[in-house]
Amino acid sequence: MPIGPHTPVPRKERISVDFLIESLRKVVLIELDSCAAPEQCAERYVEDRELHRPGLALAGYLKLFSYQRIQILGNTECEYLSNMTAAERQERFSAILDYTIPVIFLTSGNNLPDNLLLLAQEKRIPVFRTPVETTKFMFILRDFLEDQFASQTIVHGSMVDVYGIGILITGKSGIGKSEVALDLIERGHRLVSDDVVVLTKKNNILLAASTDMNKHFMEIRGLGIVDVMSMFGIRSVRYQKRLEVVVDLYLWDKSIKVNRTGLDKEFVSVMDVKVPLIRLPISPGKNITVIAEVIAMNHLLQHYGYDAARALQEKINQKIARKNIDRDKISRAVDYFEGDFE
Amino acid sequence: MIKRTVKVKNAAGLHTRPAAVLVQCASEFESEFFIHMYGYRINGKSILGVMTLAADQGSEMELELDGPDEKEALQAIVRLFENEFDEN
Repeated sequence: MPIGPHTPVPRKERISVDFLIESLRKVVLIELDSCAAPEQCAERYVEDRELHRPGLALAGYLKLFSYQRIQILGNTECEYLSNMTAAERQERFSAILDYTIPVIFLTSGNNLPDNLLLLAQEKRIPVFRTPVETTKFMFILRDFLEDQFASQTIVHGSMVDVYGIGILITGKSGIGKSEVALDLIERGHRLVSDDVVVLTKKNNILLAASTDMNKHFMEIRGLGIVDVMSMFGIRSVRYQKRLEVVVDLYLWDKSIKVNRTGLDKEFVSVMDVKVPLIRLPISPGKNITVIAEVIAMNHLLQHYGYDAARALQEKINQKIARKNIDRDKISRAVDYFEGDFE
Repeated sequence: MIKRTVKVKNAAGLHTRPAAVLVQCASEFESEFFIHMYGYRINGKSILGVMTLAADQGSEMELELDGPDEKEALQAIVRLFENEFDEN
């Protein structure tokens, strides 16, 4: 197996509400105003990647209330609360605040009456409001949480972006993965990570990155550690790249069957994501770098709907079908070429 | 396949030089060598991999060896941890 057994590890078990708010403001650039208990943010944690709109809980049905999730109060919830009598509103809202809710967001510019915010302050539940509309806010927030709690694993290999295709080169220690990666960088392609590749699963795709320790360092046998970014410049590296093809290098051995047509595609499954796998036997005189470029271009062609092996097969099938009608000998590629003797 | 849990004893932790000693030692054997730490499985024959762990003194890791000379390899590697990677 090119990628050995790997146990997916959640990137984070939990995040503090402080971190969430800070990231939403500074990274995702969402406007958030604090309405109640901002000092509690450092002690509240989000452990669930899902969001919850507590409509039923506000209606008084508290069985199965997913209080551990981030609570979103949009137009519906706020409208519903405003239609209650003041006493009822106070009672219902107080009831949900008795649970350890990590944080409440008021979306679409909604606000709550001062007495309810005071209640949240008393019960130490942070409340924030944002002008962003509910569905959009939930989409952004869910994507952010998805990334924070994503499954990840570490694999051994070199990850390079070749013509925009993320190629992971795997193979036994010392087979020359780093050397191939170096050769590719020299030809203008970009290194993501050498030796240690962190794969993060996001929406059924795998994103490969380096760790912040090995970021753009590389080990070349006999030479030691080199820094690719200082040597080849900023254009030779990138932070992350989607993993699209795995190229597994192995020493050529005649007992191992080699794919000769490319009609049968092989895949490797990493954290339940299927990635095309190409097994590449290496032998003296073989230029793996050029082959890696061809693999990338072939992958791009297939993306555009052209598969060379299929196209040739199709041609042969047509010819065979025609042969039954007129039994010709093998015909030349060109029939008549006006006096061109070159 | 054999596994063994070891502890980093040397004061400076598993920094560049000990990592190199460890990787060099593991590479002399044919068996595959992995280190389990933080839930990840790192190839122990890769120096960048071992250094990424940035294991400090007292941290524990599980060694996994698999191959024809796994016993000898484990013995040699455990000895390195015991001798604090011949740092002194």
